[in-house]
Amino acid sequence: MTTMFGIDMLAVVGGIVAITVFGIVAGLVFLGIDRKVTAHMQARIGPPIRQPFRDFLKLLCKDSSVPENAIPWIFNGAPLLALASSIVILLYLPIGSFLPVFGSYGDLILVMYLLTIPALAMVGGGFASGSPYATVGSQREMVTMISYEFPLAIAIIAIAWRLSVAGIADPFSIGTIAANPVWGVAGPLGIIGFLILLVVLTWVTPAELSRVPCDTPEAETELAGGLLVEYSGRNLALFSLASGVKTVAMASLAVALFLPWNVSSFVALSPVVAYGADFAFYLVKLFAVIFFSVSIIRVGMARFRITHVVSVYWGYLAGLGLIGLLFIVLDTALGAGVIA
Amino acid sequence: MAAIMTLQTGTGFWNPIIWIIAFVIAFVFAYLIWMLGEKDPKKTGDLIRPYLSGNPEPAKEAVHVPGGNLYWGFTEALQGYYTRVVPLHSGILTDYLLWFLGVMAFVLVLVGVIV
Repeated sequence: MTTMFGIDMLAVVGGIVAITVFGIVAGLVFLGIDRKVTAHMQARIGPPIRQPFRDFLKLLCKDSSVPENAIPWIFNGAPLLALASSIVILLYLPIGSFLPVFGSYGDLILVMYLLTIPALAMVGGGFASGSPYATVGSQREMVTMISYEFPLAIAIIAIAWRLSVAGIADPFSIGTIAANPVWGVAGPLGIIGFLILLVVLTWVTPAELSRVPCDTPEAETELAGGLLVEYSGRNLALFSLASGVKTVAMASLAVALFLPWNVSSFVALSPVVAYGADFAFYLVKLFAVIFFSVSIIRVGMARFRITHVVSVYWGYLAGLGLIGLLFIVLDTALGAGVIA
Repeated sequence: MAAIMTLQTGTGFWNPIIWIIAFVIAFVFAYLIWMLGEKDPKKTGDLIRPYLSGNPEPAKEAVHVPGGNLYWGFTEALQGYYTRVVPLHSGILTDYLLWFLGVMAFVLVLVGVIV
């Protein structure tokens, strides 16, 4: 009786509960680690790693105000939409050697579009706030979204195209990409191309997560929090959870695309130990991605102006992505004997 | 059944029913967490006025971002492109048809239909 549309609903609900708990806990832990690491790089002690959990619990105890100009149902619904849509992204991504819960029901293109929903929820919430600061912040978030989509699409299309040329079926499937690391199918020129695309994805990550230098939509010193300026209490708590879950989702996507190896592929282990070792290794890879694409960048840079965001992502990073793609095409042509 | 409902595009695929089920369940979880928090105490006065760093709130018309300015950062950064493209929009129908035919001919040559 637990089957609906031919799907075992108990397994689905169990998978979603497990992923939800993992996404929220890991998201808050990694936010804490990011703050601690960043503080040390700036010669500060920084808050304890559990600080994001304390902040979340504190926000739940605070009043949640709805401004008089706001559209209440959109204002209150936006944080719910942001968190729910962030959790759903994780269901399409592999966690260690655990295959994606819904890997056979959605591909990489779907993940790319699902990544925009939490940002759209923030835009909707900002516009519904009835605050001039939030309106400007929402407008900036929309421009930022348009900016990073192009280089992200180049990276994704390049990977899927290379796998397709290598004769691998379902090249857009995340399970396929994770099982066939791109480094194994490319020659020397292709590897240079993928390294360039890895750099591009590293720079897309802070924009996806609205972190420095792409925190122009929030810009505390300029817009007083921008699209989140009117949010407080449980609504702000949910946005902070969504931010943590989306950080894990974005890092998991980078791991699946460029660093999909597992410990159990190299060392013979019993199944249970293998799952544990692969999961631990996956967490190490998540930390590496977050460290290089979020922590280091935000320590070393100031905030971009919104026009800089567009010119950097549509100009330099899209150009860099196309150069990477060109290397991959040349590598493929050389491998196929099209170019002698 | 679920496999039948998966939309195939030849290279890509997705199943909207599965996505909706997953979204609804995740939304319920998010709602349960949200319900754990303090409720809106129905405040009045300054507590629910928009935060503007202590400044009085300007008239709505003065701070409204109109649709034409929604993508301001984008159009400003790509000004070199827009200053050339915007004047081409003359509003004359025959001009648009000419552009349409010209671009169509270019695309057909590009993809090799016309050689």
